[in-house]
Amino acid sequence: MTTQTFAARPTNRLVSSRAAKLAALAAMATLSLAACGSDPTSTGEPVGGAEPGSSANASGLACPEGKLSAEGSSAQANAITEAIVAYNAECGDKATIEYNPTGSGAGIKSFYNGLVDFAGSDSVLKTESSDGVVEADKASERCQNNPAWNLPMVVGPIAFAYNIDGADKLVLNAEVLAEIFKGEIKTWNDPKIAKLNSGVDLPAENITVFFRSDESGTTENTAKFLSKAGNGAWTDEPSKAWTGTGEGKNKSSGVAEATANTKNSISYMEWSYAKDNKLSTAQLDSGKGPVELTGESVGKAVAEAKVKGSGNDLSLDLKYAGTGSGAYPALLVTYEIVCSKGLPADKTAIVKDFLTYFSSPDSQSQLEELGYAPLPTELQSKVQTAVAAIQ
Amino acid sequence: MSAMTTTTSTSTEAPLSFRRPSGGRTIKNALATVYVFLATVLTIVPLAWVLYTVITKGIRLILTQQWWLQSQRGITPRREGGGAYHAIVGTVEMALICAAIAVPLGILGAIFLIEYAKGTKVARGVSFMVDILSGIPSIVAALFIYALFITIFGFGRSAIAVSFALVLLMLPVVLRSTEEMLKLVPNELREASYALGVPKWKTILRVVIPTAFSGIMTGIMLGLARVMGETAPLLILVSYAVGINFSPTSDTMGALPTMINSGRDQAPQLPGYERVWAAALTLILISMFLNLLARAIARASKLKEK
Repeated sequence: MTTQTFAARPTNRLVSSRAAKLAALAAMATLSLAACGSDPTSTGEPVGGAEPGSSANASGLACPEGKLSAEGSSAQANAITEAIVAYNAECGDKATIEYNPTGSGAGIKSFYNGLVDFAGSDSVLKTESSDGVVEADKASERCQNNPAWNLPMVVGPIAFAYNIDGADKLVLNAEVLAEIFKGEIKTWNDPKIAKLNSGVDLPAENITVFFRSDESGTTENTAKFLSKAGNGAWTDEPSKAWTGTGEGKNKSSGVAEATANTKNSISYMEWSYAKDNKLSTAQLDSGKGPVELTGESVGKAVAEAKVKGSGNDLSLDLKYAGTGSGAYPALLVTYEIVCSKGLPADKTAIVKDFLTYFSSPDSQSQLEELGYAPLPTELQSKVQTAVAAIQ
Repeated sequence: MSAMTTTTSTSTEAPLSFRRPSGGRTIKNALATVYVFLATVLTIVPLAWVLYTVITKGIRLILTQQWWLQSQRGITPRREGGGAYHAIVGTVEMALICAAIAVPLGILGAIFLIEYAKGTKVARGVSFMVDILSGIPSIVAALFIYALFITIFGFGRSAIAVSFALVLLMLPVVLRSTEEMLKLVPNELREASYALGVPKWKTILRVVIPTAFSGIMTGIMLGLARVMGETAPLLILVSYAVGINFSPTSDTMGALPTMINSGRDQAPQLPGYERVWAAALTLILISMFLNLLARAIARASKLKEK
């Protein structure tokens, strides 16, 4: 290479001065860049349409200054990033809140190791030991021996998105879905599907199933729904890894893209990804007629869930089978896992203020546009009470 | 070529009638040519393809002023706007802190190995360790720093922890290349200097280092370019921030690789998708800039000879 050319060269000051000039030039370029950067001024209009900066404390926010770092579930990433932006717009950018969608498991670990201030998770803290770790105990240790609370915040409907030419409507139920995902129903014109879709002409084509190849809370919650509501058609223990048939794709974006690009395919995914990729989603018939996936129908299903945590710990027991009419029961709930007490006071102030905003009707009502469902009103007020009780 | 000349040289007086080489050799020659050509194409195609894809998808945003001057704060995947300023600042800052530690260590280490301990057991031992160090995957370096800083010492995550992990990756590059450069400095120069009564330290400082200067700079620049694209330490040791942050002790900081990573999981219809490509292009441009700078420095030191 160039090495021989400059090897045997006695030097003088000229060499280094030229090189030094170049280096100085580079340094100056870097510095001048450093001098004039800025955050975009927060005119970012919340997607839901609330006016930005409209009289900062209209919603009773305290707007403390400071920095907060959180991580966890990617299922709620879109919701929480929009909420952070909207919160900052309300508060005039006083606080810096960062949320990194590293996954529920990683988020909980970072939380109890004290690396982040709160975690987002699509399942509650486990109270029984797995791999010698009891998540709930570890978390309360992190909170200076105060319990950590699971606060339901974002409801993520699971969409069964399909791609069939000419079928703008498709009705399925948990049992048929389980059989499709098990590979027992192989073609779209199977009598079991036809029975639910009278009048719709479905092709005699093979069904292509896509699933999440990475471990995912969406997979786990889909399997839970199928096993609880599928009349025994789904016998596997729900887990973060897919146990059905099909072709694996990486992440929500992977399955959504594959479904969008493959004719006669079906997959499960969070609603927001189906929306972003403009996919049609199947209606669910849980015995009381077909129900379309909307914020309202999902809200009805969540309203039927029982709170199984005690006091302000609001972990939910979702009802998958036998929901009332007009309810869409395939969903997952993501929680914010917070210290009830024990964070430094400045952090607590922002956690409280931000979660107050996030659980407020104002913020929740904007979620549907993003492909999430708002918490039912009753649950909203419970969450607000819990947030207010954080010390 | 050389095969032909040898065959023709046997029949010197005849009116040059080229005898064709035997069939086997023609075929071997043709095959080898085809293989070599194919190998070249196969190397260039993916490279050109990557560049083409990244440039076509990312160029629009790169050309806006906003890209270089604004952060992603308040910008979500669903929104247009914002830039990569926070990530560029983070990447450059972490790389500079890393260089501030790795460059002196690497250069001084190389000087020790070549000028003071050449041929000794210590030098061989150290060289061997450096070789091993240069083979360490970045994830291992990151986990080592995580274990040391976060698990044992109980510090939180921070940008400076990333810099330390990067030091482990950059140090062998700098040390190795400096070592090679110093080896190339002819002994006559050192001897001439000693003959004039110049002490050893001054010989190293005024004769050896300036002679090897351009090569050393090239090594540093290449080391920097390598370190800037590392992702594993960023994922483990700091969490990605969308806002501007200059403090190296803060637990969140933006960086180009993590900016790409955080936006990777998005639907192609969203505005955020284009920013991922633009961030990739920015990273390539910065690496390229460093490479060009290294060449320019090498050339600048060459010119003075005239």
